[in-house]
Amino acid sequence: MRLRLQIPCERTQLGLLLDSIEQSLLEHGIARELRDDMRLIAEEVVSNAINHGDNGGGADGEPTPRRIAVDIARDDDGLHVEFRDNGKPFDPLDQEPPDLDADIVDRPVGGLGVHLVRELARSVRYVREEPYNVLHVVLRTR
Amino acid sequence: MELQIHIDPPSNGSQRVALGGRLDTNSYAEFDRQLEPLLAGMQSLLLDLSELVYISSAGIRSIFRVRKALAGHAGKVLVLNPQPQIQKVFDVVKAVPLNEIFSSAAEADAYLDAMQSKVLRGGDDDEGY
Repeated sequence: MRLRLQIPCERTQLGLLLDSIEQSLLEHGIARELRDDMRLIAEEVVSNAINHGDNGGGADGEPTPRRIAVDIARDDDGLHVEFRDNGKPFDPLDQEPPDLDADIVDRPVGGLGVHLVRELARSVRYVREEPYNVLHVVLRTR
Repeated sequence: MELQIHIDPPSNGSQRVALGGRLDTNSYAEFDRQLEPLLAGMQSLLLDLSELVYISSAGIRSIFRVRKALAGHAGKVLVLNPQPQIQKVFDVVKAVPLNEIFSSAAEADAYLDAMQSKVLRGGDDDEGY
């Protein structure tokens, strides 16, 4: 299977994107657990892109409308997913891991999304390919 | 699949809240809004997740806020019947201690009763006499 979806980087579009991904995976016979992992990874990555990637200025100084594209390809080995957005450079992997063992009262409530993505995926890799942030994620087929 | 929130009337400072659907970036604000006014007086919250099918970090943050609010006055959040996706996410981020997750309401009640009698004994953690 090969699937490509693209949306404007806006919170109101996220639910539609996640539902579309899930529906496509269902039609391709992808099992529930992998669909759930994919949905969660897409939610975390796209939310981050929406929250953190301010409009990159174009060559003429005008803000470029921000979009994010999600490409999903399946091979014997798993699902290969690429997230590509045209926001300012933002590496979601460049942050301290959360302290999971601290007392609940002391634990910060943030930083969990990226941790979930790292743990659920077999591999995650960020590159900046001007003018795009590109995040490659591989999910196990089983 | 919208989030469904069912809040039972409180009894003895204990309250059961049942969730269905998805607790995620689209729905966590509604959960926060409905729980917020109840937290100050709540001694224990039994969060029934039997019908919840999906949670993301946004939902985990909401559960953390509730746990912190109750921990502030020595209250407890117990979790009932998380489905596999929910349990997996809980495990990855250590969202709820394993001994506060139950598969039946009876077990959760027994745990609360034991906690309550410990409080009545003066909060003595020492099991010896």
